[in-house]
Amino acid sequence: MKSRRRALLMGLAAAAAPFVVTRGWAQGPALFRFALTPVFLDNDAAVISALRAALAEGMGQDIELVQRRTYQEISGALLDGSVDAAWTCGYPYLQHKTELSLLGVPVWRGQPLYQSYLIVAQDDPATALSDLRGGAHAFSDPDSNSGFLVTASDLARDGQTPDQFFSRVIFTYGHRNVVRSVAGGLTRSGSVDGYVWEALSSAEPDLTARTKVIVRSEWLGFPPMVARADRMDEPSVMACKAALLGLSATAQGTEALKLLSLDAIEPGEDALFDGIAARIAVLSGG
Amino acid sequence: MRPLPRFRNLPVTLRVPLVMAGLMILLGFLASQSVLSALGKVQDARLSETARLHVEGLSVALGPSVLRQDVWEVYDILDRARSAYDGQRLLLSIVADERGRILAATDPRRAPVGEAVAEFEEGAAPPDAVRMTGDPVLRVAAPLLFQGRQIGQIVTELDVTDLLAERRNVSMWLLFGNAAATALLAFGGWLAVAKILRPVGALVSAMDDSQGAPRPIAESDIPRGDPGLSRLISTYNRMTTAVESRAEAERRLAERERFVSLGRLSSSLAHEVNNPLGGLLNAADTILSYSDRPEVVRQSAELMQRGLSHLRDVTRAILDENRLDRVGQALRPEDLEDLKLLFEPEVASRAQRLHWNVEAGLAGLKGLPAAPVRQIVLNLLLNAGAAAGQHGQVGLDVTAGEGQFLIEITDTGPGLGQADLGRLLASGPLPPGGGVGLRLVHDLVSQLEGEIQHDRVGDKTYVRVTLPLKDASHA
Repeated sequence: MKSRRRALLMGLAAAAAPFVVTRGWAQGPALFRFALTPVFLDNDAAVISALRAALAEGMGQDIELVQRRTYQEISGALLDGSVDAAWTCGYPYLQHKTELSLLGVPVWRGQPLYQSYLIVAQDDPATALSDLRGGAHAFSDPDSNSGFLVTASDLARDGQTPDQFFSRVIFTYGHRNVVRSVAGGLTRSGSVDGYVWEALSSAEPDLTARTKVIVRSEWLGFPPMVARADRMDEPSVMACKAALLGLSATAQGTEALKLLSLDAIEPGEDALFDGIAARIAVLSGG
Repeated sequence: MRPLPRFRNLPVTLRVPLVMAGLMILLGFLASQSVLSALGKVQDARLSETARLHVEGLSVALGPSVLRQDVWEVYDILDRARSAYDGQRLLLSIVADERGRILAATDPRRAPVGEAVAEFEEGAAPPDAVRMTGDPVLRVAAPLLFQGRQIGQIVTELDVTDLLAERRNVSMWLLFGNAAATALLAFGGWLAVAKILRPVGALVSAMDDSQGAPRPIAESDIPRGDPGLSRLISTYNRMTTAVESRAEAERRLAERERFVSLGRLSSSLAHEVNNPLGGLLNAADTILSYSDRPEVVRQSAELMQRGLSHLRDVTRAILDENRLDRVGQALRPEDLEDLKLLFEPEVASRAQRLHWNVEAGLAGLKGLPAAPVRQIVLNLLLNAGAAAGQHGQVGLDVTAGEGQFLIEITDTGPGLGQADLGRLLASGPLPPGGGVGLRLVHDLVSQLEGEIQHDRVGDKTYVRVTLPLKDASHA
């Protein structure tokens, strides 16, 4: 009964004001909010719009795509309920493992895995992390696996911290920004999501051509879609999960996945993130 | 000072267009300067506006990030501002914190994070004062203000290559345009002035070509359309006629002077003829009275023979004086003897003493024409005789040597007056009154390329005539 009324209200809201997605309307229970992370090509409006359309179609209701600058903000929003689901990173997912559950894990190039890249400028002679000592380094986000954890844990294995090892560390809050930072010479090196770097090398080859990858990490769990564990049984969350997993079955979903350079979204398992968990252990265990 | 006289020597038909071309160049230069100065002001204003907008825009956008010292945010804003900015005017933008350390720059390789910004502030101007200096890259430095407080600095390098090229292009166009216009106008001016001044050119060439005898300009060449010039040329033509008439008159006067000299001698020569005649009549009477006494008859006949031969000499000398210039003979010692014969009666009539010394032999006289030399000597002797007065002294010394023929005439007269000296020594116009005898001497000596010197020593007047012997000494 309750859910029917909600569905009705939501339908009304969608028909009356499909573009009104401000927080002022968040008081109503109708709108499903899905948070996006800087993992995306944050400047690509076409990707965001296609994903929104595909999810709305799959869920049979209008949804709001919420963009946040940092993973921390997204985690916070997820936990306090201001967003219903989010595409976050394996690292924050593991940080809040008890409160969050997987909705799905994207499949990229045939598997739900990706790598972290250590990049430098095209003409830089460095070939390993140890060559970058004393230079400036760009991370994307302190809660990013590929954009921080991988490099930080590699340094931790040698008993170093990024602030000690590098002359200067900056956070750009975007994998694309890490590439810009290295390409423009603001920092000597950067830690970047391998999926994003590869996607950029197709979309903006002039930008990635000014950088080169010197170290690729082991394969790690791809940034997953998550929701709060205690809300997994809610119809909207379940609908969202179903829509995500069914993206590759619909025309709009296929279009959105193609724009994202992804194959599909599969249910995924926590074991996918064991590699990240190991690195967290290295970092915290010192 | 030297080029000026040279310029003055140029024909007026060249000088006027040259002056005009010079003025055109000056005008073109001033006009170009004013155009370039106006262009410079426009460019400066454009540049200043660009710099000001850039700095103000960045200040607004960067404020919070600079306060937080957020390197990435500052770089991100600078980088996006650069790519959004039209053209490539902004070469480099640097943002520094309030301690002068670089927070970020559009080119971090040139301006690394953390370095001092001071190095980039060298030669930088505030946005309102930025001016084109000829340097292709200009620097602008401005404080970064946020909420009324200075929180850092912005240094920007502006690429003004395009503005410089624009300025250079305008300069080149002005240069070529002005040069072409000046050349065209100068050429047109030359044509116009040459046409206007053609009669003046004709006048000048008529005066130049004439070699002392001005040539009149044909009536058909007188520009009737220009009253001033036409009057000028008519006056010139009248003047040339007057000069010709005057030269003709002088020539005739000189021609007559010869007869004048003889005329001046006529009374003494009459005595010279008359005196022997008395003696001759007496001798004839004696022969008639003593025809039976052969020795008396012989004596009288001899007397008559001497008297008649003297008369024959005198008449021959007079005849020679009249005839010589027509024949053009060379000077001989006999010519000087003739002059003595003609002049002696004049001396006798004034009871004067005559000093006569001719040292030049036949060889020394060779190469000199008889007529002008005789005329020179006779005129000077007559003047000297007239000046010496009763009981005075008159002298003639003729010597030759070292390629020179020297005639010296002396007298004890009062000396030559200024008017007479002017006639004898100078070529200027003849003073009114007086004869032309001395001027004739001057002209004849000039024709023979000789010199005349005048001297007054004690109570004696010396007139020396030096004539060059052209062929004699070397022949």
